[in-house]
Amino acid sequence: MTGFSRRKKELDEEIEAHRRMAIADRIARGESEAQARAAAEREMGNLPLVKDVTREKWGWAWIERLGQDLRYAMRQMRRSPGFAATAIGTLALGIGAAAAMFTVVDHALLRPLPYKDAARLVTLQETGPGPNNAWSAPWLDIAQWRAQSRSFVDIAFSSGMRGRTYIQGNSAALQVDGQQVSPNLFAMLGANAALGRGFIAEQPNFGTGKNAGGIVLSNAAWRDAFGGDKNIIGRVVRVNDEPWTVIGVMPPGFRYSPSFRGAPVGPEVWVAVHLGENDTGRDYKSDHYDVIARLRPGVKIEAARAEMATIQKQVAAQYEDPEERADHSLIDVKGYADSLIDGDVKKALLALLAASGVLWLIASVNVTNLLLARSMARRREIAMRGALGASRGRVMQQMIVEGLVISGCAAVLGVGLALGAINLTKSVAPINLNVNFSTHLDLTILAALCGLTLLSAVLSSAWPALMAVRAPIEPALKQGGQQAGSGRRHNRLRSGLVAIEVAMSLTLLVACGLLLRTIYTLRHVPLGYRTDHIVVANLSIPSYRYVNKSVNASLYQPLLERAQHLHGVQAAGLISEVPLGKTFNILLTLRMNGNDISAALKTATPDVQKIFGMKMLAGRFFSNDDTPTSQGVAVVNPAFAAEYAPNKHDPSSLLGMTVWNLRQGMPAHIVGVLDNERQKTVAEPSQPEIEICLCQITPESGIYQPSTIAMDLAVRTEQPPSQMIPDLRDLLRQASPELANSRFSTMDQIVEDSFGSQRLAAHLLEVFGGAALLLCVAGLYGLLAYVVSQRTRELGVRIALGARRRNLLWLVMRQAGAMLLVGVVAGLGLALASGRLVRGFLYGVKAHDAWTLAAAALLLFASGLLAAYLPARRAARVNPMEALRAE
Amino acid sequence: MKPEQDKYRNRIDLLQGTLDMLILQSLQWGPQHGYAISQALRARSGEVLQVETGSLYPALHRMERQKWIAAEWRQTEQNQRARFYKITAEGRRQLAANRSRWNTMVAAIASILEA
Repeated sequence: MTGFSRRKKELDEEIEAHRRMAIADRIARGESEAQARAAAEREMGNLPLVKDVTREKWGWAWIERLGQDLRYAMRQMRRSPGFAATAIGTLALGIGAAAAMFTVVDHALLRPLPYKDAARLVTLQETGPGPNNAWSAPWLDIAQWRAQSRSFVDIAFSSGMRGRTYIQGNSAALQVDGQQVSPNLFAMLGANAALGRGFIAEQPNFGTGKNAGGIVLSNAAWRDAFGGDKNIIGRVVRVNDEPWTVIGVMPPGFRYSPSFRGAPVGPEVWVAVHLGENDTGRDYKSDHYDVIARLRPGVKIEAARAEMATIQKQVAAQYEDPEERADHSLIDVKGYADSLIDGDVKKALLALLAASGVLWLIASVNVTNLLLARSMARRREIAMRGALGASRGRVMQQMIVEGLVISGCAAVLGVGLALGAINLTKSVAPINLNVNFSTHLDLTILAALCGLTLLSAVLSSAWPALMAVRAPIEPALKQGGQQAGSGRRHNRLRSGLVAIEVAMSLTLLVACGLLLRTIYTLRHVPLGYRTDHIVVANLSIPSYRYVNKSVNASLYQPLLERAQHLHGVQAAGLISEVPLGKTFNILLTLRMNGNDISAALKTATPDVQKIFGMKMLAGRFFSNDDTPTSQGVAVVNPAFAAEYAPNKHDPSSLLGMTVWNLRQGMPAHIVGVLDNERQKTVAEPSQPEIEICLCQITPESGIYQPSTIAMDLAVRTEQPPSQMIPDLRDLLRQASPELANSRFSTMDQIVEDSFGSQRLAAHLLEVFGGAALLLCVAGLYGLLAYVVSQRTRELGVRIALGARRRNLLWLVMRQAGAMLLVGVVAGLGLALASGRLVRGFLYGVKAHDAWTLAAAALLLFASGLLAAYLPARRAARVNPMEALRAE
Repeated sequence: MKPEQDKYRNRIDLLQGTLDMLILQSLQWGPQHGYAISQALRARSGEVLQVETGSLYPALHRMERQKWIAAEWRQTEQNQRARFYKITAEGRRQLAANRSRWNTMVAAIASILEA
């Protein structure tokens, strides 16, 4: 601003020179000096105004004014630090909550995928009528789509590598996410290798030999396994002990895994898919692929859907099995980005974003109320400015700048709050929620934040400013003192704002209450097993090492032996997936007694019953007498019995029936029925399930391979489970180095994690609801305290005239009660209307649950009255002498 | 009192473009400071046009920003430091354009009045 002040001085000098010359001229013409001075000054007029108008021509007057306003706003804030702190704190809370939620939503839902023109990418999945699963597709179907469809530039596909994938690095084996992809995939995604040529976008075929296509590494795999070796291209590396030639390294940031928005993606490798004999048919033996396609420019997704529906009719006709034909009769064309996020989580996040928006609104309303109160107190100052000629626009601008300064400070504080909140959430959010909580602030977030801040400023200060400048000047000046009967309209307005706050807070409180009840109900659902003192390790097994040798003999048996002898361990067992584990899933379809049976398949060791304390409805669980050579055994659950038992009311009628061939010539007999168990979620009843004894699975068995991929080690401990984890990890490392990467948890934690989105929503709503309650109480208190201070004189007169103090207390409380009542009634309406938003997350409680509504309303009402009591008591204690003398 | 009032009645409110034109014209005769410009305009208009400081300086500073005129500090003959303005090439072009517009307008108005 030095340039500006220099020019200002120059202008002063220029005008002064003009004045001197004018005076000198007049003196030269014979006027006296005094006469000349007076005449010249009269002629030149209002000099400060002349300078003002001239300065405006420089084109930066607005900067000067802004500077004035800023300085003025700072002065105002220094003069009333309490007010400033309250306003800034309140807004910071609102902005912080909204910014934090937006950051999470942005990362989870809005951020475009790291592919070229990602919005044009779609997935193709075959489905059947009814609420069916979506299926991946065999090669023959994909080939037919490719040949017949016109909607797509290209169609690519991929499937995960079998089992767990390990790449042998320079020093150690690294577990990676491995995908076999069609060679055109990366070109379709618009991604080129950073090193090497990558895949050549050709059609896959049956001709080339296995492993011929080579392997492409992700940047992370290249760095972690090979130390970023620049000469990696052409080197032969071993993946699951098979040799592959490295043909490319992708740039950092590139990832492709059909579920990569899940837990943060680690290192990845990709190999070209090799079509073989599993790709010549359309049945359960065929390989199935995840299909991704790019829409042709100008083609809408609806058009693609219509075209594919026609093609799929012909494709489905070629399925031989009638049931399979029905299951593949329809096709689902979906935006690729949408397919990556779980619908439940998406709904939860959007609902929470709405909740944080409500909190922000409450904060803005609160600050509006504060500013309104202050503009009333400053009525005289504003009127004075008006009388001195300040235009309304100018006064408004100044007040809005004040609002901007407040919101600006609040935004800075809010960002801090948001970052803190996200970090905090990250640690409590369940891992299986598949949301990437990143605290990375980027341009989108900053832009959104600026928008929020500006909006907050305009919302909270423009209106009070308008109210202030609209007020007629004269009465304000005439009545002068603070005690002037402030406009009744104004108070009604402010009461209305408080009522709105109350209503919105109630909505948040009700939602919070409903979710807390949901969590409470979920925690009290009888699970059918114990969850305390159990450590669970989801083993990361190097499957490839056990392809043709018994994993039982070489890994599981020794592991169990040693685990059982570990100090503090009561029992150790293996089960392919602990209840609620959400790690692995085998669905078995078979025929039993002429019935089609569909059931989940699990394997377990005998000790699992002891560890989980499972009870039997009938028969027995596995025992140590069950061996690879003894009779095949299986245990089923009540859901299985209810569905398939010959006598539906007697589970024991199943005992002795054979369900499945463990291997050629070895049928499994049902020997027991478990008491109930919740498998997938606490909220849903179990599906039919068959469990077989792990020791009876041999390499010849049909499910041998799955048993080398998915296995959970469950250990019942005497001490708190978390203390056992280091010892167990050591034990696993000794068994095989790869196992040290196994994921440890406790059964209690797994149950908690299974509440997923409900738990996250409940936690966040606790925060939002609590903050809303606080703001609302503060708003109410602020308004009443202000009203009482404005009415001190009136109250004094009332007392002097004989009013009782009780009456005065009642006077204020009545006003508070009216605001609260209006707010609560409106809030109940809002809560009922917004019940639709939360209904999907509730369990065991209805969205319009009367108890929750009543409790939330009561809580709000009680805290509101408490907040009102303080100013009311002050009103009742007014000393009439002092109140009247103060004037 | 009488002459004051007359003067007031005879004064013509100058349109913005007109004032610009008159200032540029008076600078045609050489660089001048603000006071001299106002005196020159008054003298040449036979005391009819009196440019107020509140119009003159904003106009000068605006035209300076538009680069029609340039300014520098100099001493007057009476040894007073003053800000002198001089017309630029751009200003001359502007003046010519203003003049031809003015002439057209005067001719048009005249033909209406004489019709």
